[in-house]
Amino acid sequence: MTVETSLGAQPEKELSLWEIIKPVRRQIYLGMAMSSISGIAWIVAIILLRPVVQEMLEVEPDVVTLLGLAGFILLAIAIAIVLRVNSFAWSHRGAYVLEEKVRTQLTTHLAKVPLGYVVSTGSGSLKKILLNDVVNLHAFVADSTPLLARAYAVPLISLVVMFLIDWRMALVSLAVLPVGFIALRFAFKDHATGRAEMEAASEYMNNTIIEYVQGMQVVRTFDDGTSSFRRYSAALTEASATMRKWSEKSKAGAHVGGLLFTALPTMAIVLMVGGIFVANGMLDVPTLLLFVFIAPTLPDSFIPLIWLSTLINQSGAAAKRIGRLLAVPPLSEADVPESPKDGSVRFENVTFTYAGRSNQALENVSIDMPEGTVTALVGASGAGKSTVARLIPRFWDVDAGTVYVGGVDVRDISSDDLMKQISFVFQAPFLLQETIRENIRLGRPDATDAEVEAAARAAQAHDFIVNELPDGYDTKAGDRGTRLSGGQRQRITIARAILQDSPIVVLDEATAFSDPENEAKIHAAIAHLAVGKTLIMVAHRLSTIQDADQIIVLDKGQVAECGKHEALVAAQGIYANLWAKFTEAQGWGLRRSQRHLQEVD
Amino acid sequence: MLNTYNNMLRAASLHKRRVQGATLLSILGAIVQGIAFALLFPFFTNLLAENSQWQLYSIAIIVLVIINAVLRLIESDFGFNTQMEVGHEVRIKLGEKLRSLPLEYLQSRQAGDMNAVLSSNVQQVTTVMGGLYSIILQTIIAPMTTVLITLFIDWRLAIALAVIFPMGVPLYQRMRNVAAREHHARTEALATVSSNLIEYTQGLEVLRATRQVGTQSVRLQSSMINLRETQMTATDWGILPNILMSSIVQVGMLLVTMLGVYFALGGTLEVAVLFALIAIAVRYAEPLSLFASLATTLDFMEAGLKRINDLQAIQPLPVQQPTQQLTQFDIAFEGVEFAYAPENEGEQGEQVLNNVSFHLPAKSLTALVGESGGGKTTITKLITRYADPQEGAIIIGGVDIRSVEQQDLMRHISVVFQDVYLFDDTIRDNIRMAKPGATDAEVEAAAEAANCHDFITRLPDGYDTTVGEIGGSLSGGERQRISIARAILKDAPIVLLDEPTSALDTESEVAVQRAIDRLVEDKTVIVIAHRLSTVVAADLILVLEDGRIVERGTHKTLLENNGRYAAMWATQYETRRWKVYNQ
Repeated sequence: MTVETSLGAQPEKELSLWEIIKPVRRQIYLGMAMSSISGIAWIVAIILLRPVVQEMLEVEPDVVTLLGLAGFILLAIAIAIVLRVNSFAWSHRGAYVLEEKVRTQLTTHLAKVPLGYVVSTGSGSLKKILLNDVVNLHAFVADSTPLLARAYAVPLISLVVMFLIDWRMALVSLAVLPVGFIALRFAFKDHATGRAEMEAASEYMNNTIIEYVQGMQVVRTFDDGTSSFRRYSAALTEASATMRKWSEKSKAGAHVGGLLFTALPTMAIVLMVGGIFVANGMLDVPTLLLFVFIAPTLPDSFIPLIWLSTLINQSGAAAKRIGRLLAVPPLSEADVPESPKDGSVRFENVTFTYAGRSNQALENVSIDMPEGTVTALVGASGAGKSTVARLIPRFWDVDAGTVYVGGVDVRDISSDDLMKQISFVFQAPFLLQETIRENIRLGRPDATDAEVEAAARAAQAHDFIVNELPDGYDTKAGDRGTRLSGGQRQRITIARAILQDSPIVVLDEATAFSDPENEAKIHAAIAHLAVGKTLIMVAHRLSTIQDADQIIVLDKGQVAECGKHEALVAAQGIYANLWAKFTEAQGWGLRRSQRHLQEVD
Repeated sequence: MLNTYNNMLRAASLHKRRVQGATLLSILGAIVQGIAFALLFPFFTNLLAENSQWQLYSIAIIVLVIINAVLRLIESDFGFNTQMEVGHEVRIKLGEKLRSLPLEYLQSRQAGDMNAVLSSNVQQVTTVMGGLYSIILQTIIAPMTTVLITLFIDWRLAIALAVIFPMGVPLYQRMRNVAAREHHARTEALATVSSNLIEYTQGLEVLRATRQVGTQSVRLQSSMINLRETQMTATDWGILPNILMSSIVQVGMLLVTMLGVYFALGGTLEVAVLFALIAIAVRYAEPLSLFASLATTLDFMEAGLKRINDLQAIQPLPVQQPTQQLTQFDIAFEGVEFAYAPENEGEQGEQVLNNVSFHLPAKSLTALVGESGGGKTTITKLITRYADPQEGAIIIGGVDIRSVEQQDLMRHISVVFQDVYLFDDTIRDNIRMAKPGATDAEVEAAAEAANCHDFITRLPDGYDTTVGEIGGSLSGGERQRISIARAILKDAPIVLLDEPTSALDTESEVAVQRAIDRLVEDKTVIVIAHRLSTVVAADLILVLEDGRIVERGTHKTLLENNGRYAAMWATQYETRRWKVYNQ
């Protein structure tokens, strides 16, 4: 019987934990072996006390025998200590190597799954798995495996020894344990559901705290926090109540079980019954003493496991989440990859639905974007603009139809090759916490400093890098004191894209910026980036796309209109309507009367 | 350790007595346990002497075991409840604290940092309170009791036993230091891995394009290797002290036993006493050798406690007496100088406002324009008393805001900024936050005025839809309109506004603009303007550069001045006519 199952843990959890440690099983098994031997050495030391006692009861105890025994006991204790400490050292080493391996495995896997999965899961949730869940494995791998081994080895050996020496006393020693197990079983009867409730309550509490703290930074600017505090305090009270209820239900059993798994009760019973045997001449004193020494090792081995069971369960849950992430199927790679023939992009009858949604994001969309042209995607939010943009670098695979890049189905292009064909500039600029130079060089790792600066110049970033940043190109982005505005960050990402020099450039609302002067510079930067490229842009600001070679108007996932600006405005359709709204928005001003309006335009 | 305990009691405040009670119970339990072991002496003496009194002692031991069990039962029950209630109370107190913290402090902290204090630091402290502390106490008090009693049986052995404990102390100190350093190094290495992992997931498309993924992602890999090595080193360093610590106790016990054998051989010690001694030594050897690692967990709790106390110690901005009420709503800055609090002590904070003075009549519209970093946002923040200026004063309706209660001040100001925070609650309650007593009708009227009634009624449960259910499906424009609805409902005489950006799509933009039109009617309005065309009608435009007002006037006079504003206007005009070139 294992404590795991006696506590009602799910066997499959354990299985996945054992599976996850495979890469470091050598270290772990070594640690477990050491731990078991350490436990056995400890028992040997205890057993050797019996001849000591026997010798002392002789009329003339032999000093040499005693010294010899002491030497053996010392040796056994030394082995026990050294092996115990080293067993934990090995399990910890294994755990640390495992951390690195699992993280590498996860990050490598993430690079193969559809980017769409990464984007829609969000870096916050992914971080939780990559960082916290991997850390959570530690409780099992590093802290529990040696104890687990010991919890099997020690009781087994002690039982064998005890039964070999005196079966009656062995039974007496065991008397307390079944009661303890039953009490624990009783305590954890609704273990699974109770645990789930507890965990839910504690997660709820943590979420409440996060919401409160995050919200407070904003809420305090329009409120003194009364209403959010009320929510916070109510949620905390509710969580406490749930925990209290659970503890009320399980405490009696848990406490009784917990108490019986200590050395004292077992020892007291051994003394009592053993005393009677000795008094009646049914047992000799050395044997009684041996049982006084050895019987408590049984409950002793289980105590740490009871303590660790929560942590082990946490590790199990973490392993499950890690397993789930690793189970996300990677994008298929073509057996014989083809290379794109030019810089064109073509959608042919593309239909696409996001996982878990019922409505189609794109329905039968066909768009031709010839090499070197500018295509603008417009439409209301949710019309499918960004979906089109993101299907080009194969964030997801289409459900029906085909996306061609350079005349080749994107699924037949190796993902490395495809990524090289396309530069992507997002609304939220991504910068590494590295020097500005390295951030730009990310576009082409082998670029020289001169090439990096040329790209920065073209992206209208050189001036502010040299003049405004403390260490110029060697300033670290994100360091204290270096506050880059959104527009500046965006220009750095554009410099990166310029350096990357891919034939196809996809801009996802890259021009949407608040600061007008930055906006002018971003536009100039994009103009440089776009030279000679196939440019596909998702745009809200219609003024920026009036000269596009074609404007694709999307409506509810379908291409509703297509053409040049003038033609579309003249057609009096969706685009014309958007254009009218846009013009209205441009003309808006706070408390601005008609008179003012005429004055400005 | 006593110090730690006192700090812990202070944190428990209201529940101080209960924590003390639990401590007392566990001390009692430990003493009982120690006595039970000490009774092994008379037990064996009598048993070996074939004296039937041994039965008495064995019954006494069983009775003590039962008493110990009962004490521990009460104590652990007590402990668990105390743990929960102290946790609850500390969290509520910290929650209250957040409401009064100076906004500057609140916003300069990473939200994650503060979460950690409220959730995990509190957890660390209460766990120790709820059980760990009593285990540590028992590990040390039970043996001490036994040793004390041994004194009466055989003083030589008692002293020998007692000597073992202090031997471990210097080593324990060393282990503590190593553990602290280890913890620090590990935390740092982990933080680097953490930020690199976030970078990795956020930048995956760029990294993929340049093939810097998996084992090729140099930065991430090297930080993970560093983490592994830091942890490995810590483990390796820990091996020897751990072995020594265990050896001191276990080998020490063995030596005491041998001493006992020596005494017995010399005839100065009863064999029965020796046997009892061996039984005691075997029993205490292991728990005591683990004591050191248990005690180091106290250090973590101490660190957590310190962070909690530090947060508790921060004082709210003082309100000057006598406090005054706001009745009029013109706003004046008089020679305001402001620098942000330095990030490190001794450093100079960044100067963001230099001698800023202006007067804005009630119900006027003022625009703040200029490049980012010029001080626009700081001005709006100071009006909400985000922090106090180092020099000068901010006067609303003739009253220095330092003599106004923060709650009173906030009641008269509405803030509509671009980052809108929605609670995971119904849309209705999210709007109602601005005015907790508002009726449903009032909420809906505000929503209607803010142009969000239509999209709200289209949601699955209308106003009763919870934000979490629809999550990210609210667009930026919709969220913004909800925040405007809040402001309309609040109906404060002063409105601070960050102009909605072009990040909104066209339809949302028009809707948001209309909502703002309704919000600003009849209010004293200060707007941070990005597109100059939106504020041509302002009564006053303040042009800020490097924390100074470099120009002021109306759109017309500023254009005539042909200065900074005129230049900005010209660039923006150009921007609006920009198109994609593709030669």
